[in-house]
Amino acid sequence: MKTIFSLSAFVLVAPLTAFADSPQIVGDAPAAPIEASAPVEAAPVKFVISADAIYTAAGEMIEGGTVVISGTTIAAVTPGGESGEDGLHVAAITPGFVELSPRINLADYSVEESGEIMPTMRATSSMDLYDKRWERLLNSGTTTVLISPTAEDVVGGLTSVLKTGGDPTVEARVVLADATLAGSFGSHASRGNHAVFGRPTDHFSRRPTTRMGTEWSQRKAFYDTLAAIGNVDRQFAGWDIMESVLNGERPYIVQASATQDIRTAIYLKEEFGIPNMVVDAAAEAWREPGLLVRSGMAVILPPFDAQGRTAIDNGFLAWNSAKLLDDLEVPFALSSHGSASLNGRLSMQAGYAIRGGLSFEDALAAVTITPARLAGVDSRVGSIEVGKDADLVLWSGEPFAATSRIVGVVLNGELVTK
Amino acid sequence: MKFLPNRTHATTLLPARTMTLLRNWTLVPGAIAASVLFGNLPSASAAVGDSIVIEAGRIITQAGEDIVDGVIVITDGRITAIGAAADVEKPWDAPVMGGPEFTVFPGFIEAHTNNGMDRPNENLDVTPFLNVRDSIDPVNFFFEDCKRWGITTLNVQQGNNTVVAGNGRVVKPVGVTVEEMTIRPDFGFKISISPKSGKSRATQRQTLNRAFGDLRSDLESQVESAKLDEELAAREALGQGREREAEEGEGRAMTGSGWKVEGLERIKRSEIDEKVLPLLEMVEGRHRTFLYCGAPMDVQTAIDFATENGLLAKATLVLDASCWKAADAIKASGLSVVLDSNMVHIEVDPITEEETETFVPSVFAEKGIPFALSSANSSTNSLWFQAALCVGYGMERTEALAAVTTAPANILGLGDTVGSLEVGKAGNLLLLSGDPLDMTSWVEFTIIDGVKIYDRSKDVRNRHLLYGVEPRGTLAIESTASETPSKIEVDGEVTEEAKGEPVEEVAEEPIEEVVEETTKKD
Repeated sequence: MKTIFSLSAFVLVAPLTAFADSPQIVGDAPAAPIEASAPVEAAPVKFVISADAIYTAAGEMIEGGTVVISGTTIAAVTPGGESGEDGLHVAAITPGFVELSPRINLADYSVEESGEIMPTMRATSSMDLYDKRWERLLNSGTTTVLISPTAEDVVGGLTSVLKTGGDPTVEARVVLADATLAGSFGSHASRGNHAVFGRPTDHFSRRPTTRMGTEWSQRKAFYDTLAAIGNVDRQFAGWDIMESVLNGERPYIVQASATQDIRTAIYLKEEFGIPNMVVDAAAEAWREPGLLVRSGMAVILPPFDAQGRTAIDNGFLAWNSAKLLDDLEVPFALSSHGSASLNGRLSMQAGYAIRGGLSFEDALAAVTITPARLAGVDSRVGSIEVGKDADLVLWSGEPFAATSRIVGVVLNGELVTK
Repeated sequence: MKFLPNRTHATTLLPARTMTLLRNWTLVPGAIAASVLFGNLPSASAAVGDSIVIEAGRIITQAGEDIVDGVIVITDGRITAIGAAADVEKPWDAPVMGGPEFTVFPGFIEAHTNNGMDRPNENLDVTPFLNVRDSIDPVNFFFEDCKRWGITTLNVQQGNNTVVAGNGRVVKPVGVTVEEMTIRPDFGFKISISPKSGKSRATQRQTLNRAFGDLRSDLESQVESAKLDEELAAREALGQGREREAEEGEGRAMTGSGWKVEGLERIKRSEIDEKVLPLLEMVEGRHRTFLYCGAPMDVQTAIDFATENGLLAKATLVLDASCWKAADAIKASGLSVVLDSNMVHIEVDPITEEETETFVPSVFAEKGIPFALSSANSSTNSLWFQAALCVGYGMERTEALAAVTTAPANILGLGDTVGSLEVGKAGNLLLLSGDPLDMTSWVEFTIIDGVKIYDRSKDVRNRHLLYGVEPRGTLAIESTASETPSKIEVDGEVTEEAKGEPVEEVAEEPIEEVVEETTKKD
């Protein structure tokens, strides 16, 4: 963790060090009852929102209750309470959504040509925080996102968890810097590449050029990492980041859409014993559930499509996929690939999952607490609990119903209204 | 007939071999495959005098109050009785379908679509002599989707990339020939006010003006020359001292509210160029027109154009989402509108980049302009979904439901036959598993003219989309824990092996094999 920064020469690194040095919580961490739960009287109560129903994503639904926000965090969640006197009253409240695959990624869409195994690259170096898509995401209820480098490299680099609003600086928005490592299987990592022979050399003259090559590169990267551990001569830029993946400190989120690519990802996980791996855009995760369950991988489903086909590698996403994964007890998150349109946004994805048979509670978890856990930020976001960030979605009716609308979003205790 | 809960569907998946068979059937001409898959075999069509009784826990009639525990009797394709179960006499010999678990709703109406055609757009600019009849593909997947999502009446017009398009048609998504599908043949024309690709707005307008202007001047010169001919004939007759043979009264004087060519009665209609004759009929107010406006600036042009050429009484505007800005002009013109499937208009301020969102249908609802919604026709963007979003954005539920049923029926002038469930109207209805606007509702059966044309339990494609194919390895997980070992035991005990009979092989877990393979490659 520490050495990466000495290796890097990027300007952005300095402020990020502060976050990286603080203890990182990865995985299923309990909601820390930190400062905010302490003196409620002392901190100025900013505002109170009451609702007919509060879906906390942390236990039972509260019928008729209030959320008290103090500063940037939730100070109290109570049943009953004085409704709508000076505060706001809405039909329903859910936590702000957490999206692990927003695909908002880069201001400049480009293929990094320095190499295929680029663990030291950071998506944050390429973010345009003035891009309108951030605001659209926020208005559509998504308050936290995991931003990744594109899937054009075999090992793309470090992701970060950011809030979708607030001051437009990485420092102000970051929830967890260098949260996970991004990798890629399938056609994307080799898309456009060609062999160096016989034609002019350009930045596509590189490996890999096939799925086989991608898999080879993945395995080589991890073998090199094993060799680098304890052997200074074999160390390469970012070997320690790779090591953090091998020892489970950092989740490895890989893109794999078709069954064959999901298989390849699973074999990699099993071969190197990678403890914490998540397969993104996993349209065909439903095809081989036995393998999936055995592997212990978590899944990020791509957006549902009317004809069942997804954009990445033409994977077939059956509409009951979310229900199936839930039945198999595979942890899964839904994603919208950054769509803020009425039909494509994350809240609608939850609706489609419900249409495919998933229960309301499980659909809620799949856009809130589960993705927060997968990214290791569940101590701060993903549910409505005292001490957590005050990120809320306010609804005109039953959440995720086509007849309901998001009437407001609260981010870090600030009301964002369209 | 009972609604099967989801789980039952999952277990009644067709065996793989049947699936393959079905897939191969698509090699047979698509028409036959479609009719086999969707049960619209000739035998299913209603014979004269046939009745069917539909029972439902709730009937949303779109013509007054909902009916709880209602019954609908359809005879010869028309609704002959509708009401509470106690009040309706059911023909004793009619088949009964439905049940208390169903909600019945009128079939959705698509007020305007370019789908279902071989090619929606024509290269030529002015083509009123063409007809979508020649382009509609009855086995187009689009019509199958219509059955699936409950759209029972569609106005098919040529695409918007045109100047004056061919003759449209109102169809139902049933039948293997266009004639079978047809509800109203030769129904209206698309006219685009927005530029066709390759044109500017000025040239588009010029082409439009010339189409109608040329028609007018051609007719005038035709009348002129007819007059001259008559004069010449009269003079000739006078010179020869005989009575002239009168040829008057064979044509027809021009009617309508637009411009007129005096003396058109001198021309027989058969003498007018058939390529432009439909334009004349438009000006005379005999055809509906669908005027496409791709931007708010086109709206006033469309209204002026319709007024000048006498189209106003039978015109409908087909609007891009941005056209809400011209709502006042539309209100003043009294025209009805069909809205774009994209219902949210986002405007970006060019300086601040601030985005302003407008939910378009609400603007028209508030101004009291008759409007119909249109779908992109997919599960996620079909008419039920569009109406549901309207409710989410604060529209009255009744108004949102009307915008996909009675409103489009009235806009198309079909209000007497479709759009609501009343005695005398067509027996077009949906049996839904729940409320039409509910995320978890499905169209279980679609009935058109009293004939069941869609049954979800037989919809292979829907099942595939919803459940995928049988996932491999599911059984392996369930069985390895408990069943497989016990089977092995049984195999061990049973003496059948000794008898030489083939022992039923316990399905090996394919996963294990694969892992071995992977480790081998190290």
